[in-house]
Amino acid sequence: MKTLLSAKNLIKVYGEEPNLTYALNDVSIDIKNAEFVAIIGPSGSGKSTLMHILGCLDKPDKGKYYFEDKEITQFTDNELAKIRNTKIGFVFQAFNLLPRTSALKNVELPLIYTDLSKAEAEKRSTAVLNELGLRDKLSSTPAKLSGGQQQRVAIARALVNNPQVIFADEPTGNLDSKASQEIINIFKDLNRRGRTIVMITHEKDIAKNAKRIITIKDGKIVSDKKQTTSR
Amino acid sequence: MDFSEIILSAIDSLRINKLRSTLTALGIIIGVAAIILLISIGTGLQNYITGEFEKLGTNSIFILPGKVRVGPQGGPPQTVNKLSFKIADRIEREKGTFINLVLPQIEKNITAEYRSKSKITLLIGTKSDYFGISDIKAKTGRVFSQKDDQTSKKVAVIGQTLASDLFENQNPIDQKIIVSEKSFTVIGVMEEQGNAGGIDIDDQVIIPLNSARILTGAEQVNAILVRTTSTETIPQAKAQVEKILLRTLSKDDFTILTQEQLLSSILQILSVLTLALGGIAAISLIVGGVGISNIMLVSVTERTREIGLRKAVGATSQDILSQFLAEAVILSVVGGLIGITVGYLGSLAISNFVKTAIPLWGVLLGIGFSSAVGVVFGVAPAIRAARLEPIVALRHE
Repeated sequence: MKTLLSAKNLIKVYGEEPNLTYALNDVSIDIKNAEFVAIIGPSGSGKSTLMHILGCLDKPDKGKYYFEDKEITQFTDNELAKIRNTKIGFVFQAFNLLPRTSALKNVELPLIYTDLSKAEAEKRSTAVLNELGLRDKLSSTPAKLSGGQQQRVAIARALVNNPQVIFADEPTGNLDSKASQEIINIFKDLNRRGRTIVMITHEKDIAKNAKRIITIKDGKIVSDKKQTTSR
Repeated sequence: MDFSEIILSAIDSLRINKLRSTLTALGIIIGVAAIILLISIGTGLQNYITGEFEKLGTNSIFILPGKVRVGPQGGPPQTVNKLSFKIADRIEREKGTFINLVLPQIEKNITAEYRSKSKITLLIGTKSDYFGISDIKAKTGRVFSQKDDQTSKKVAVIGQTLASDLFENQNPIDQKIIVSEKSFTVIGVMEEQGNAGGIDIDDQVIIPLNSARILTGAEQVNAILVRTTSTETIPQAKAQVEKILLRTLSKDDFTILTQEQLLSSILQILSVLTLALGGIAAISLIVGGVGISNIMLVSVTERTREIGLRKAVGATSQDILSQFLAEAVILSVVGGLIGITVGYLGSLAISNFVKTAIPLWGVLLGIGFSSAVGVVFGVAPAIRAARLEPIVALRHE
């Protein structure tokens, strides 16, 4: 499989001298197409910082990052926005849906920043929501949906642009175990159909659903293991 | 993201916060409505005065005593009145080919009495031609004739207000009223003239010029109205009048005003007034703009996560800037349009009491000013929103 993401010697520092904190301290990582990677680590380990850089939301202080062989670290803010819009989907712990806005409109959100017509955007969003079993919730606002349903709307929003990779930041953090399993199953299903998934979590039980587990601690990768059997 | 999507997405956001959007727009609505209303009153007044002047005809020249300056620096004449019957007669004798009619006029505040009632009112002494020129008709009875004037008849034509004050429900015709201790017979009551700038034109008594001359014993006249043969001959007539006057008077003893001059001066004052009124109202619009700025800033803070999310899914800084700017401008433009409607309805409602008219420029000013307010006061919050870093915004609680 072709390498999708490649980070080389990433360094990200917060704070000022002499109280520097290395959120990332010389991190290198390669992720191939169609992988399902879990990045695990305690809070403050730097896993969120890593996801932000890999997701083109932030830039490292040092090191290089390539997305599909393009050097992202050289990109302007607008070029990064374009990459996020067309190649990347995000799923967040707190769902981050627009309040008082229908599921359909929430899913359409990434498409309003493309050249797609309104009718086409609606068609595609409806299709993705249908696929995720939300056929009868198109006009529901987040307040009327359960946590699991809200996260499924968020996944639909991440998928609607047909991205290369989905970054999920603690996607089950706000869900009960039943809903968590539902969401994980969706990710596994997406991965089985060839979608690259990068999931951040601090729960080992959730992480073991991935095919590869990277453990990060104090800004460094401490282990990187392939799972032989994925359930 | 194209223009229509920016607008649609802004409208969505505004609709989600209906109450807040309405309250914010209210500031603009009030401001624009006030502008439209005040401009409509000012313009209505201008139209009314223009209309009244046009009734008098455009071929009139007024000779007034003293140096009268009309316009913003104007003030009352301060010199002794040197306009006299003699001068009026001289103009009459030498009126030549351009002048049709010379109409001297005496004006004086007097007390009119009828039985036990008395009232201070304005006495006007003039010739019978005055009624035709000013389009004044008798409602009951008749106006006086040229013969009444030549024979110094002690007859009076009185206004509606004076008639009802002195006679109440009684018919005033052929009754005798006492004017400055002399008895005059009421021969007519004028049709209602209305109110001009706070002065009740129906509160006056008009008597023949010669009778007034005897009554007051004065040799001065308060004004001489000169009618020219046509509008085109006004310059020649004016020159001729000036030549005659300068023979005995100095330049500062009189003022010659053409109707056009008078009208344009009054309109000039009124347009300054209208603009001043509009300007005062515009201040309230600026206050409305500050309201928009305030609410948009609150909105940016409140929606920080939303901004982070929008950026995460691919919005550029320009997209965010346009969205928040569009929200501010839509608020102010919609507010402006509602304000124009409210202002229009308001001006209709008061048109029974004050003459109103809404000029096109007033409407354009209202729309233009309110959208400008939206842009000016929406820019700072929009820039703040656009500058937010996506990860900082996403982390915001």
